[in-house]
Amino acid sequence: MNQIGFLFAGYAVIWVVLGTYFVFVGRRQTALKREVERLERELQAQA
Amino acid sequence: MTGTISDQEQGPDARAEDGGPPLTSGSGGSSAVPGSGGAPAVSGPGGRKLWIDLLGLGSVALILMALYGALIVAPTEAVMGDVQRIFYFHMPSAWVALGPAFTVVFVCSIIYLAKRDLKFDRIAGASAEIGVMFTTITLVTGPLWARPIWGAYWTWDPRLTTTLVLWFIYVAYLMLRSSTAEGHKRARLAAVFGIVGWIDVPIVFMSIRWWRTIHPTLINGQGMQMDPTMQAVLMFSLFAFTILYVYLLIVRVRQLDLGSRVDRLRQQLLMR
Repeated sequence: MNQIGFLFAGYAVIWVVLGTYFVFVGRRQTALKREVERLERELQAQA
Repeated sequence: MTGTISDQEQGPDARAEDGGPPLTSGSGGSSAVPGSGGAPAVSGPGGRKLWIDLLGLGSVALILMALYGALIVAPTEAVMGDVQRIFYFHMPSAWVALGPAFTVVFVCSIIYLAKRDLKFDRIAGASAEIGVMFTTITLVTGPLWARPIWGAYWTWDPRLTTTLVLWFIYVAYLMLRSSTAEGHKRARLAAVFGIVGWIDVPIVFMSIRWWRTIHPTLINGQGMQMDPTMQAVLMFSLFAFTILYVYLLIVRVRQLDLGSRVDRLRQQLLMR
């Protein structure tokens, strides 16, 4: 692999790691919001 | 971290033990729960706030601009060539990890032990996650830069070794947090670990001064030894990464607050 290859690999790793973290945070956010809405509906229904 | 409940020592743990009245969802004014005060269901820890979205867009824009600076604006390094351009993201990643991220863990751990407020435990946990992520980036991009320059992906150089140790320390910190249920017991353990683990941060920073190393040194007795354009690109990258860290910390802390709210709502349901 030449210098440009290593440069490309380096930046690719950065974007993959950042992208993975963003996806993780986004999915967790969606799941939590759904859970909050579900629990609040159940509490309202019980009330 | 707007709209968070301050979980003091008399917080969820004590409430669960003494069977006192359940918490109503009161984080940041977001409440769709009857009897909670009648506040409208506007943004709380789970709702969106425009300024956070703008901060996120801004941080992404800054990172893209930093990328442009690193690949296009910065001149080619005379000795190392184009592969040196990894430096403009490698060093800011290390800066975010060693600077704000793990230091916030350290400070919030101390504050938690002093005040017993779980909010600081959540901030420490979120900051540690982000710090581990950026340390991972540092440990991967460094060897990719090193291979064509040093002829090897890795050496047991003091800077590299102490950074790897740092990564293990904070991965262990995150494993400790994930293996224990949320609450004051976990927070106490994590806080002590977070304080002791931070000892490696100054060791990493000073390693190139205390020991013989082949790792490049930017700053010596005469200041930063860099071409002015390279220096400007580096400074901009440092700024962009810092803003990105702030954004990720805010988002993740709000998410952890939301998770805590989910736990409280579940407790309320169980009590009915």
